[in-house]
Amino acid sequence: MSFEIINSPILATIQDKGRFGFSFLGVSNSGCSDEFAYFWANKLLKNSLDTNILEISFSNFIIEANKDTQLSITGADCEFFINEQSKEIWQSYNIKKGDIIKIGKILSGNLVYLAVLGGFDIKKEFGSNSTTIKEKLGGLDGDKLKKGDILPYKNRVCNYTMRLKKEFIPNYEENLTLRVVFSYQEEYFSKEEKNKFLNSSYFVTNEFNKMAYKLKGTPIKCQIDGIISEAIAFGSVQIPKDGQPIVLLKQRQTIGGYPKIGVVLNIDCFKLSQARTNTKIRFKEISYEEALDKSKSFSKSFFESSADLKNS
Amino acid sequence: MIFKIVSVDSLIIYFGNSIDEKISQNVKKAYFCIKNLTLEGIIEIIPSYTSIFISYDIFKYDYESLKSLLEKNINLDLDLILDEKIITIDVYYGKEVGFDLEKISLEKNLSIENIISLHSNKIYDVYAIGFLPAFAYLGKVDEKIAVPRVSTPRKIVPKGSVAIADFQTAIYPQQSPGGWNIIGKTAFEPFDKKLENLSVLNIGNKVKFNPISKEQFLKQGGIL
Repeated sequence: MSFEIINSPILATIQDKGRFGFSFLGVSNSGCSDEFAYFWANKLLKNSLDTNILEISFSNFIIEANKDTQLSITGADCEFFINEQSKEIWQSYNIKKGDIIKIGKILSGNLVYLAVLGGFDIKKEFGSNSTTIKEKLGGLDGDKLKKGDILPYKNRVCNYTMRLKKEFIPNYEENLTLRVVFSYQEEYFSKEEKNKFLNSSYFVTNEFNKMAYKLKGTPIKCQIDGIISEAIAFGSVQIPKDGQPIVLLKQRQTIGGYPKIGVVLNIDCFKLSQARTNTKIRFKEISYEEALDKSKSFSKSFFESSADLKNS
Repeated sequence: MIFKIVSVDSLIIYFGNSIDEKISQNVKKAYFCIKNLTLEGIIEIIPSYTSIFISYDIFKYDYESLKSLLEKNINLDLDLILDEKIITIDVYYGKEVGFDLEKISLEKNLSIENIISLHSNKIYDVYAIGFLPAFAYLGKVDEKIAVPRVSTPRKIVPKGSVAIADFQTAIYPQQSPGGWNIIGKTAFEPFDKKLENLSVLNIGNKVKFNPISKEQFLKQGGIL
């Protein structure tokens, strides 16, 4: 009961919600970059929301099933085929032994998620299956997936398939507004610099990955050069000497020494992780209370069902 | 103690604003107080030189409730009983592994022997762990060998490299990009998956470096 990787994918890894409780030792939280797509992929299979999944970063990913199962695909809009038949994503599908599943071109967004019924049956490392290549932790031998790798799953069946209602499917081509709670070293940024930060447009550079997104635009000046190294929260906006913001994401280093103007709201970080080079970014201030409210509503929304059931 | 909101689900507590033993002691005291509370819904507690970062479950706490709970329970007047064992780490300080030895020697007008003795004659505190799994920030090195980070970080710093950045020194527990000045190499493994807390070096421990010969280094399994 497994999938076999048929071709050599450029970058596909096993991820889950992340590895928590080891940051004090320098171990990154890692985990799925776009939790919206990740949660939905699992929800469409009625998996528990922390089930492991494939995060596929580049086109042309091919696997073969050697036992019947069910899978779902969410995330970046992409060409998706089962036995060369084109299919829609944000749905679950019944898969038969011998079926070839292919993710072709990624059309908008960056990250495609592929979940299997019950998740992949592999051992967790420090409480998580999330792959962090740099740390050689998680996944299969702490590495990206390679041709010939076997992804085992448990034998389970489900008699119906589900799809997400169209109105809930995100559009990854939009310009993004990232809501920011000013925090950390905010007192070292003058009012003028903060206004500049809120009133300028930034663009995603080609330097982005699971660790961080480097942006470019109007430089922001901090009154200090660096700080004594301290921990970095998910979504932190570092302002290095050149004034160009860096938003730190799931696979960020645990501590660092650049001043931080504040933290992007988690929900908005999920959208940022699907943004490609040159996506236009605006920052908007949000209060802690409002941010808390939005974040709670996001989590709660996944306990309520918004999916259509279809008989298979 | 200064509490600050960081994000929807995290806060930071500052204990001062310099790399200083007294401040570090307070960080450690507070860190052990918080850990001993074994609070449910606390996700990460990350101590560093002057601060402690805490992330938490937003369905269990908000900033105000967690702050007041911590304020009540952090006691900096406690006597700190730390595992202050000294861990001795053998280092081969040779030019073929210590890529920046000559540069430091020229910049600081010190012989390589001097650099080695200044680095290995001190006992260092573990101030923080981060950047990479089991990367321990040790301090402070003698002022005479304190050198800023290299201007262009190396794409690859070999595993086991012993390095200096300003007043800090550390061992790279695995191959990684890095901007610290490399002065030697060790066969010592800081990250051990068999250990309960994975890192051989922990906050509260002390470290002493012991210079060894190339032959000894190779015998220990060191790779040039």
